[in-house]
Amino acid sequence: MRAAKLLASLAAAVLVHFAGTRLLPTFPQRVDVFLVVVALSALEGSSLPALLFGLLAGLVQDTLSSGPFGLFGFADTAVAYGMARLAQRLVIQRATGVFAVVSFASLLQQVILAALAFLLLPNPSLPDPLGMLGQALKAVACGILGMLVYGLAGRFRLAVEVRRRGRMGRLRLG
Amino acid sequence: MDERRTGYLLTVLLLGQLVLVAIEGARSTRSLTYAEVIGLRILGPVARLVSIAGGGASDLGHKVRLQGQLLDENRRLRLQVEELRLRLLRLGDVEQELARLGDAVSYSAPLLGEIRAVDVVYADHASWLRSLVLYTGPRSAAVNQPVLSPAGLVGRVVVVAGPYAKVQLVTDRAASVGGMILRTRRQGVVRGSGQEGGGLSLDYVPLSADVRPGDSVLTAGIDGVYPRGIPVGTVVAVEAGGQLFHKIRLAPAVDLGALDQVYLLEHAALPQELVKANSHARR
Repeated sequence: MRAAKLLASLAAAVLVHFAGTRLLPTFPQRVDVFLVVVALSALEGSSLPALLFGLLAGLVQDTLSSGPFGLFGFADTAVAYGMARLAQRLVIQRATGVFAVVSFASLLQQVILAALAFLLLPNPSLPDPLGMLGQALKAVACGILGMLVYGLAGRFRLAVEVRRRGRMGRLRLG
Repeated sequence: MDERRTGYLLTVLLLGQLVLVAIEGARSTRSLTYAEVIGLRILGPVARLVSIAGGGASDLGHKVRLQGQLLDENRRLRLQVEELRLRLLRLGDVEQELARLGDAVSYSAPLLGEIRAVDVVYADHASWLRSLVLYTGPRSAAVNQPVLSPAGLVGRVVVVAGPYAKVQLVTDRAASVGGMILRTRRQGVVRGSGQEGGGLSLDYVPLSADVRPGDSVLTAGIDGVYPRGIPVGTVVAVEAGGQLFHKIRLAPAVDLGALDQVYLLEHAALPQELVKANSHARR
C-alpha cells in the first residue's frame, strides 16, 4: 500500500513537471516537484523506503536531464535519507515546519549537485551570485509547494476519516 | 531492516552512483545506460501525451484568436514565397557556378544529407542541465545525429530509446562544437556556458585574430559530428581572456525556448570505417 502510494505520488510529480514545463518553460528552474515529493515522503520517518524512493525519483530526473546519469539519483538519495533521519528526531506537524524542512532539502540538493558538478564534470563552474539568488528562490518555492501539498493531503485524510466515521455511525444505528 | 543495514545500503547506493557519474563525466562521449533508455521509454509517451493535450488546448484558443489574422498572413506569405522563389533562382545559378569551378579543380563539396522533421515532446531549456526529448516516429534517430531548426544548430542526439530521443542542447555545459567565424574563417571551439539564459562561448581563438561583435559563427565541420556551415550563434562580446586567447561570448542562433518541431540531419560526418578504426584505436 505504501509503495503504491509512493509510486502514485511520483507519477503525479511527473505529470505536474511535464505540464508545468509545457505551460511555463522556466518551470524546472523555479520549482523541483520531484524534490518536494521526495522530501514529503521522507517526513514519514522510515529511512529505507525514503532512500529507495529518493533513488527512484532522482533517476527519473536524470532521465529527463542532460547531465550524467546518476547525478540527481545521488543527490535525491542522500537528501531523502537525511530528511528521514531528521524526521525521526523532530516532530513536524505544522505547515511552517514542513516549509522549513522542504526548503532545507532543496538547498541541500543544490549544494550536493553543485559539489558533484564541480568535482566530477568537465567544464566546471560555480554558480554566479545571480544564480545563487535563483537557487534560494527555488528553495522557497519548493517549501511553499511542499506546505500546500502537505496541507491538502491532511485535509483529504481528515475528510476521508469523517466520511468513514459517518458511515460506521449509520451502520450501528441500522 | 535496522538503521545500520539501511546505512550500509545507502553507502553502497551512493558509491555506485558516484562511480557512474565519475565515469560518465570523464568520457568525452556519453555512455548509454539501460536504466536511462528504459526511463526514456516510459517517460517519453507520458511527455508526448502531455504535449498533445497541451497543444490541443492551446490550439483551440489559438484558432479562435487567429481566425481574423489568417487572410493578412496568407497575403504576406504569398509575397514572401515569390521573393524566395526569385532568390532560389539566383542561388541555383550560384550553385551551378560553384559546381563548375569545383569540377575545374576536381573538388567535391561534402553533401549536406537529407533532413526530416520531428516533434519536440519535452523541452527544458532553462534549468542547469537542459535537455530536449523528441518523438521521431517509427524511424529511430541515431546517437550523435545533428538536430537543427530553421534558424540554426540545436544540438545532437545523445540517447535513443525506440521512437524517443534525448538531445544534448548546444548550450549545455558539456556540449562542444567545432565553430568558425564566417567573416574571417577563423576556427575555434563553441561551448555551452551552462549559465542562466543559455549563452555560448567561442574558445581557443588567438588574440591576434580579428573578431568583432556581430560576427556570425557557423559549424566548422571539424568535430566529426556536425557538417560545415550550420549557424551556431552571433558574437555579442569580445574580451581579452588571457595571454593567448580571446574571451568571446555568443548568443545562440536558435531561440531554444520556442521549439516545437526540429529537424534531424541524416549525415555521416565521418566515414564509418574511420569511426570504427578510431574506436578500435581507443581500446
